Amino acid sequence: MSISVRLNHRFDGLELDVAFEAPPGVTVLFGQSGSGKTTVINAVAGLLRPQSGRVSVDGRTLFDTETHSWLPPHKRRLGYVFQEARLFPHLTVRQNLSYGRWFAPRDGQGTGEDFDKIVDLLGLGPLLDRRPALLSGGEKQRVAIGRAVLARPQLILADEPLAALDGPRKSEILSYFERLRDDLALPILYVSHSATEVARLATTVIALDGGKVVRQGPPTQVFSDPSFAPAGVRSVGAVLEARVACHHDDGLSELDAGGVPLFLPHVNRPLGTPLRVRIAAQDVMVSLNTPTGMSALNVLPGTVGAVRTGDGPGAIVSIDTAAGRVLARVTRRSVAALALSPGVACHAIVKTVAIAPEDVSGPPKAPEQP
Amino acid sequence: MRSLFAILATTLLATPAVADRVTVFAASSLKNALQEVADGFNAATGHDAVLSLAGSSALARQIQMGAPADVFISANVAWMDAVQAESLVNADSRIDLIGNRLVLIGPHPATVEISPALDLAKLLGDGHLSMALVQAVPAGIYGKAALEHLGLWDSVAPRVAQADNARAALALVSLGQAPLGVVYATDAQADARVHVLGQFPADSHPRVTYPAAAATSAGAAAHDFLAYLQGDAAQAIFARHGFLTGAQ
Amino acid sequence: MAWLGPEEWQAVALSLRVAGWAVLCSLPLGIFTAHALARWEFPGKQIVNGLVHLPLVLPPVVTGYLLLLTFGVNAPVGGFLKDLGIVFAFRWSGAALAAAVMAFPLMVRAIRLSIEAVDPNLEQAAATLGASRLWVFGTVTLPLILPGILAGAILAFAKAMGEFGATITFVSNIPGQTQTLPSAIYAFLQVPGGESAAIRLVVVSVILAMAALVASEILAKRIAKRVAGG
Repeated sequence: MSISVRLNHRFDGLELDVAFEAPPGVTVLFGQSGSGKTTVINAVAGLLRPQSGRVSVDGRTLFDTETHSWLPPHKRRLGYVFQEARLFPHLTVRQNLSYGRWFAPRDGQGTGEDFDKIVDLLGLGPLLDRRPALLSGGEKQRVAIGRAVLARPQLILADEPLAALDGPRKSEILSYFERLRDDLALPILYVSHSATEVARLATTVIALDGGKVVRQGPPTQVFSDPSFAPAGVRSVGAVLEARVACHHDDGLSELDAGGVPLFLPHVNRPLGTPLRVRIAAQDVMVSLNTPTGMSALNVLPGTVGAVRTGDGPGAIVSIDTAAGRVLARVTRRSVAALALSPGVACHAIVKTVAIAPEDVSGPPKAPEQP
Repeated sequence: MRSLFAILATTLLATPAVADRVTVFAASSLKNALQEVADGFNAATGHDAVLSLAGSSALARQIQMGAPADVFISANVAWMDAVQAESLVNADSRIDLIGNRLVLIGPHPATVEISPALDLAKLLGDGHLSMALVQAVPAGIYGKAALEHLGLWDSVAPRVAQADNARAALALVSLGQAPLGVVYATDAQADARVHVLGQFPADSHPRVTYPAAAATSAGAAAHDFLAYLQGDAAQAIFARHGFLTGAQ
Repeated sequence: MAWLGPEEWQAVALSLRVAGWAVLCSLPLGIFTAHALARWEFPGKQIVNGLVHLPLVLPPVVTGYLLLLTFGVNAPVGGFLKDLGIVFAFRWSGAALAAAVMAFPLMVRAIRLSIEAVDPNLEQAAATLGASRLWVFGTVTLPLILPGILAGAILAFAKAMGEFGATITFVSNIPGQTQTLPSAIYAFLQVPGGESAAIRLVVVSVILAMAALVASEILAKRIAKRVAGG
């Protein structure tokens, strides 16, 4: 399932000019508000008619302004999860879930998932006979996901589905999306401005800024670029790939990241599970020498790859380690004091407790590794 | 000579000491004729006769509720009786002012003899006979009485379309919606698009009469107006509009 | 029932029949028009809106006159329909047509308001799940506007029951065919001493109107409960 998108659209002060091809898996459109992400997904859905462009999903053309072909939304075989759930208030949860099945052609295309299986997967059993008005935000979003999946779509669209939820709920729903990706192997086009969501979920990241594609690729690659900060400097963080090595009695788990041990708070995964860990740049310190008598458990030796400074007092230093490329955000003063420049040997230090549970997840089962 | 001239001048140039306003409540079917009469009255006496025209029932109810009418001219004897019963009009001043005739009208010129031998139902075909409300409006009441008297009512009763007043009944015929209608001669005269096919015999229905009276609270000018109505000038105007005057 | 005479009961029955048919037959067009005005963009939309509201602002007699010219005997549309077997002139169907025309603006306004209250996002969501525009209307919009449709229908029914000016001008007063309650009341008021009979009919009118209102309130509450969830 691949998506091919080419769009040109000007409106409200934004000039959208994007073109990308996304491989199967979860494709995340990442960027700040106003970068054009929602416009792109709405164009794919058919809720917006762009001035020029072409979108095709798995070879099937959804619209092409050059040949004047345009499929209306209800013919595009999609399932869309909106930010505000948009459940039908006059139908029960069960009826909402079944809504898309009425219209889905039974021609074998698209995911023909079983009602009970989806209800189990999303934990909707006890809610089936309730009305949407009585559901919590998280419950509504789960029903919305189920409804979209049960419409037998070729592609799931999601426009910031976690934005309206609070902290714990966000994490919970995010894990449901991971299940869609892993257990159901559903292709998803996902819009987000949160680096955490992107790091956990994405097979491919399409970063947008000011209506243009500025980066494209797997998250480990895209996030390890020190000059990449579309959602602001605070969200910068590299993504490392590691395997669960062992669980310790004192509540820590030890991961093996390219031969380097990485400690973090206990992750409930079996030994040997491959994981992705996002390390926020501002949680990383840099030391020239191997530090001693220090509380941090994670010390990763490596070499400075690049240093990037801006107008402010901060700088992003990328350090190539055995575990992968790590980004550190330090002051320019320190960069000068430590004389950090490409090629300098140093250590990246990460506090164990700084690694948040939502920054850890299993990588997608993509057909090919980058 | 000088004294004669003085007397003539005083008589000819004399205006009444006070110019009185006379409010006349009159049935709307009298509109055209009465406006001319009122103008003549104003010119001759210097008073100011003002007309308020509406259906007789509405006018009578307004008078019952205390409306300041000086003279009431009704198209309907019953409403004058009702007002008189409440002593709102001066019984001594009441007169039968003018009369009217009932005619059969149609959109095209033709002549029909109205008698018990007339096959009115056949003449109607599948169309309707346009009349005013047969139980409420005088033109309709008199029309039904005439048809009953001639033995023609039963055959046409199901085909009667009752309009809310005589003018509306006239309109149905002139617009081509009904092939025949029963209205007053004065109504037929007012509309060039309808033609009188025949006149109902005067003995087939009660006399159509327009009673007029002065209000009990009215002043001398009102009585002057009533007197003027019965004078030659006014009666000539009424006759010209098709009403039956005292002479007829 | 010596309280009302047979002809008076006839007027009551006729009024109910005329108003009932007027509302029933104009409801589909009313919903369609309300939906078009609420959700679509098309050239001449403001003109259509104006035409729909015309019976509200024109004197009823004028509306009756226009109906006469269009649907009357030998009139352009009237003659054409007569060939198809549909006659409005001097028939209860004409009274129903006059009532429907006069009540139409009220019906459309009420329904349009309730359509505008439906979140268009829900309709969008339905489209993304595979529903064509017609299915979206039938499965999402319509259930949600049912209370509004009911309100519009009851309002139109009440207006139709009270319609007089256009009716008497278009189809006059024919007992059993076009003598509706208002016509009968008017006729009684023309006669001295007819007030008591008129009042009796007025009481009947008020009772019918109140009954319709109460029924609609109960129904609307029930439907709203079902729609909102609970």
